[in-house]
Amino acid sequence: MSGLRSFVARRLLLGVLQTAAVVLLVFALTEALPGDAAVALAGDQPDPERVEAVREAMRLDRPAGERLADWAAGLLHGDLGTSLVSGRPVSRYLADGFGPTLLLAALTVVLLVPAGFGLGVLAARHAGRPADRLISSVTLAVYAVPEFALGVLLVTVLSLRLGWLPPTAVGHGTELLAHPAVLVLPVLVLLSRPVCSLARMVRAGMIDALASPYAAQARRYGVSGARVRYAHALPNALAPAAQQLARTVDWLLSGVIVVEALYAVPGLGTVLLGAVAERDVPVVQGLAVVFGVLTVVLNLGADLVAHRFAPRAGVAA
Amino acid sequence: MRRPRPGRFALGVTIVAVPLVLALLGPVFAGEPGPRAASFTSGDGHWLGTDFVGRDVWRLVLHGGRPVVLTALAATALACLVALPVGLAAALTRHRWLEELLMRPLDVLLAVPSLLLVLLAATVYSPGPAGLVLLVAAANVPDAARLVRAAAAEAVTRPAVEALRLQGETRWRIAVGHVGRSLSRTLAADAGTRLTGVLYLVATAAFLGVGVAPDAADWAVMVDRNRAGLFVQPWAVVVPALLIVALTTGTNLLFDAALDEGRDGGRGAAGLPAGPGGPGGTVPHHTQKGVHP
Repeated sequence: MSGLRSFVARRLLLGVLQTAAVVLLVFALTEALPGDAAVALAGDQPDPERVEAVREAMRLDRPAGERLADWAAGLLHGDLGTSLVSGRPVSRYLADGFGPTLLLAALTVVLLVPAGFGLGVLAARHAGRPADRLISSVTLAVYAVPEFALGVLLVTVLSLRLGWLPPTAVGHGTELLAHPAVLVLPVLVLLSRPVCSLARMVRAGMIDALASPYAAQARRYGVSGARVRYAHALPNALAPAAQQLARTVDWLLSGVIVVEALYAVPGLGTVLLGAVAERDVPVVQGLAVVFGVLTVVLNLGADLVAHRFAPRAGVAA
Repeated sequence: MRRPRPGRFALGVTIVAVPLVLALLGPVFAGEPGPRAASFTSGDGHWLGTDFVGRDVWRLVLHGGRPVVLTALAATALACLVALPVGLAAALTRHRWLEELLMRPLDVLLAVPSLLLVLLAATVYSPGPAGLVLLVAAANVPDAARLVRAAAAEAVTRPAVEALRLQGETRWRIAVGHVGRSLSRTLAADAGTRLTGVLYLVATAAFLGVGVAPDAADWAVMVDRNRAGLFVQPWAVVVPALLIVALTTGTNLLFDAALDEGRDGGRGAAGLPAGPGGPGGTVPHHTQKGVHP
């Protein structure tokens, strides 16, 4: 058991280091790179007054190390700073955008797991036959398509030509659950890529496991095909799939940003893009830290789950 | 599992051909820009209509593929060029600390979602096309370097390398002559899958307005800017969106089919490479002797 414990300890340490690195990287990219950040942030026509105001607000006259220490200390206390543009605390921005994004992400994950596993198992069951070839080709094709291109095409067909679904979520504010129809397109687009990768992962894992000696041995013992498939092969496909599921968080994140922009959903992605456009550094930093830490934590969880299911497989940190 | 799939290969080539030819040769045939018409009109000499500032959509389509394709190719090449020496050095070095020094920071960087990295940099700096290449390449280096290291670490333990070492070949010749060469297929495979991901990131960044002018002739920018007129003049959005779908889908199908034919194990291209302790890394003992010519 000491092997397991030391693995968990090492993985947790890596998670802590990754979190620290995210914080450092966010700071370095937005504040510490060479050049006068105040001039860059003041916009396309930097007038001296605005530059001075930015410098004052971000306390750019002080050394970078000191600012980093202050900022990181604030983060530890949950203080994310205040917006340069509106003067509101960054945590308020997060609170405003959190609901819609969480709703989109939760709906997507809830649908993603059965859809991905279902398609993967279906393809593995019919490996090499038409059903498998169809699923494999379609998942391979859709997997590569950027969300925005798929999204506008779906809007054109489903909203414009057929009039089945509303094209955007404009006018519903954050009350999205009261209008489920506006959620269909965003969730569908968000699902498109992760479902494909998950299904491919599950399929490959199950085919590998079904071809393995222990599956053959189980069959020789007369264990039923269904039992070999679901009690023996599926758990082995689970480890890579769990990791893939966590990796898709990276995609879900970029997907959420794009989908919210595309369908005018007032979530965190919209807040982030707005802040990027206005060069509102504290808001961008706060959101980036939250997104980055979320990714670290989910990857950590997935690696631990994967290790639990298949301890021998070298788990990529 | 090793059945070649000529059908899929042909399908990939067919799908990717249209956007690729348009992207590479389009600008040659585009001709001079005509006078601007009203926004979002159709007909009147513009057979795909006009865009949000009244430019001819067909002409923009001819021009708009090149930036997407060239940026993606440049970023993929750059990422591989950086990842190759880093990964090789980490795999071949005798010094554990050097390997840790090279790989640990990349492990940590892997935690940052790529689009977030691009958006973060875009907040303070306004990256042009070159900046976008750098950013997208940077987002891809950690993963690529890890793959190179894993593949090289596996190749190093092969009997042939052992034999070369016994013959007294220099480390440099082993690294370049043998390990590098035996990696070429893995690397080509990785570059192919990476190109798909890079195309995705480049197009998405351009759609979000990073690294491009707001009125640039770029398929992704066209989709974004002409969305306002989707109800009046859908062609200005649908045609570039379809071309992007064809480009990304076709690339992925093409490389997957190509890989399938060259693949010698059951391992999928998307599978994580086995580490040095993995199933690929064991050397049978009898190979230590008897390979002398």
